[in-house]
Amino acid sequence: MNTNTFIAGRGFLYWFDARAKLLTVLLFSVMVFFPSQVVMLAILMALIFIVAWRAVTFKQALKPLRTLLFILVVMALFIPLNRRDGVALLVIKSYVIITKEGLNQFLTLALRLLIVTYLCTLYIWTTPMADINLSFRWYGLSYKVALTITLAFRFIPFIGETFTMIRDSHSLRSAHGESEGEKFHIKDLVPTVTSALVFALKTIPHLATTLEHRGFGSGLKRSDYKVLEAKGGLFIHFLLSAIILLTTFVLLNSI
Amino acid sequence: MNEKTKSKSPALSIALMSILTAVVVVFTIFPRIPTPIHGYINLSDVIITFSAFLFGPWVAAVAGGLGTGIADIIGGFPQWAVFSFLIHGLQGLLIALIARAGLKKGVPGDAKIYMQILGGVVGMVVMTGGYYLVGGFLYGFKPALVEIPLNLLQSGVGVVLGIVVSKGVLKAYPPVRSLAL
Repeated sequence: MNTNTFIAGRGFLYWFDARAKLLTVLLFSVMVFFPSQVVMLAILMALIFIVAWRAVTFKQALKPLRTLLFILVVMALFIPLNRRDGVALLVIKSYVIITKEGLNQFLTLALRLLIVTYLCTLYIWTTPMADINLSFRWYGLSYKVALTITLAFRFIPFIGETFTMIRDSHSLRSAHGESEGEKFHIKDLVPTVTSALVFALKTIPHLATTLEHRGFGSGLKRSDYKVLEAKGGLFIHFLLSAIILLTTFVLLNSI
Repeated sequence: MNEKTKSKSPALSIALMSILTAVVVVFTIFPRIPTPIHGYINLSDVIITFSAFLFGPWVAAVAGGLGTGIADIIGGFPQWAVFSFLIHGLQGLLIALIARAGLKKGVPGDAKIYMQILGGVVGMVVMTGGYYLVGGFLYGFKPALVEIPLNLLQSGVGVVLGIVVSKGVLKAYPPVRSLAL
């Protein structure tokens, strides 16, 4: 089970400090929900896609779009139900299918969703998970919560692998031998989940003891094995963040 | 370290929350149960309900919130991570608080079955309603209606299996009671 979301690539997103980038993503995401013209949102989305294309490959940059395809189709199908008033653009047998206002509403919602999705995805693609955790620490996340997240990431592959082994051993006992990949049915669930949970729970006292042996809970200051370093100084990165946000704000309000 | 000391140790609470968070992540991403409409439901709600019944409100809130948030990030839906954290965190918290209301000792899983079901139903409402509100905000309230049946099914399966699995684990591994915070 792969927990790594980082994708090696090129461009300024990889140079950009994780803390400044996190602030930019958050404020940018809020900003696209301010009232703005569809054209401006479309330009913004096009720019973000180009940045994604430059950072990773074109094929990779299309992936978030694919994950949203189903909901975008549902949104498009709901246009006639959402807005029936305004200037009719498509009428079939006196039934108004699309109005100008309905289309405008659909495009606004779809573009906002796409922008927010691409921003969040680009952040996790271009920032190693350790840097994301350290960024949250820099913004005030407690040591205990950060440690919980780190340990959870450490145990995800182990528990995933254990679950696969338990599921496979349970399926060997059942009469229907044919494997269906990762799918399985309700009747197989209870014994598999119970066994996997008991196995996972048994690791808890060992992990607690290990943490105590390493001095956790002693009240002494914890060691930092990795420190975030901003190339060129953190101020430059936050200045760049402010410039990006200001430019976006001006762009969204220019019409 | 004896069991009594261990139950008060901060290391135990970190270990408990980390492992349960990892379990929530695995059960959100990994097992996919096919539905009649050719979709899939995941088992995150089973583990959240299980955590709420065996370990109480705070563990369920942290494990449920962090676990589903991390699963969204790993699974390619990072835009949902913050919302999943809040919705599933609240879901776990409320299930445990309601289930253990009136319980003098023991874990919420020892409560009367109708209190566990009530907690589970409230959790279903929180989960389905929460995702509907966020979905409505992100892509319109009418398109967001599409997700309601699947979310209800997923959280309903989660409540039923959560109750069954927590009883099963209590029977299969009795020392689990000493881990409850």
